[in-house]
Amino acid sequence: MVRLFVGLCIAVAVAAPAVPKPIAFADGTTVMAEYGAGTMQELQIFYAPRFDYSVGGGHVDFSSDVDDRREHINYARLNWLAHRWNLDDAQANIFVWGGAGSATGNQFTGTRIAGNAGVQVDYETRRVYASMKSDLQRSAEFSDRIDTLQLGVAPYKHDYGGVATWFVFQARHYPGELHSGIETAALLRLFKGGAWIEAGVTNAGKVQAMAMFNF
Amino acid sequence: MKRFQVLLAVTLFTVASSSMAATIEMTVNGLVCAFCAQGIEKKLKRFPATAEVVVSLEHRLVAVSLKDGQDISDADLRKALTDAGYTVKAISRSETPMADVRERLKQAQP
Repeated sequence: MVRLFVGLCIAVAVAAPAVPKPIAFADGTTVMAEYGAGTMQELQIFYAPRFDYSVGGGHVDFSSDVDDRREHINYARLNWLAHRWNLDDAQANIFVWGGAGSATGNQFTGTRIAGNAGVQVDYETRRVYASMKSDLQRSAEFSDRIDTLQLGVAPYKHDYGGVATWFVFQARHYPGELHSGIETAALLRLFKGGAWIEAGVTNAGKVQAMAMFNF
Repeated sequence: MKRFQVLLAVTLFTVASSSMAATIEMTVNGLVCAFCAQGIEKKLKRFPATAEVVVSLEHRLVAVSLKDGQDISDADLRKALTDAGYTVKAISRSETPMADVRERLKQAQP
């Protein structure tokens, strides 16, 4: 998974809303890979037939630093843009998603059916953004949720065709005992055209990184 | 009679040409990111009449230049932008070449 992530980073080295969204644009495909400080690693691919929904799937690995528990989940998912506010110089969105898949882990034998659901609320201008996301993966054997808050500031207003730069503060809570306490991270995000890359470190000194490519 | 027919043809052609806008400019709400621009550009380039698309986040502007003798109706443009997830606030048509639009946007950069 890490190799895949690194490969994707190289592929999109020319690094895009300020907020990662499960739907980029109508008739667009989104490929997203995230390395979450050793606690989670995820790869997602979605296709959006329209601007307000996308379908696809992903793979996520959870690795608890609390009890050494590990889960590996393959899933299919439907993302829906429940509402969008197009303001003069800003945009706000509410996304919801849900799906199902299969899971394996080191605390149980065989494969389990897993369901997933989530919600994201975001607001962005060309200088600031804020987003809150809650993402749940659940089966009979585990319930892993990741709550993420991101606040971003751009040092300058980018325009289409230019490179956008964002300084991002991220706070994460893992209610499913994957990680104790609140994990914070400082990130640098760059994007250009349909590609972006971001990387930073957490308060524990671990690497947090993500790459996304839209086409 | 033949002269009259030629004159009529020339007049009709002139009137038709003058009613064709070279460039259509749209003020759009919700334009805050490169993905927005990318999606809009992709959508508008699907019109056979589209020659070129310019998107300026700074000016909330989407400009489309048309191929000679072709047109896209306001209704079709509004639908395309709405289907892309954005809100069209205004549409204006002019004979301004796209190069001039680009230059104007460049000059108006803060």
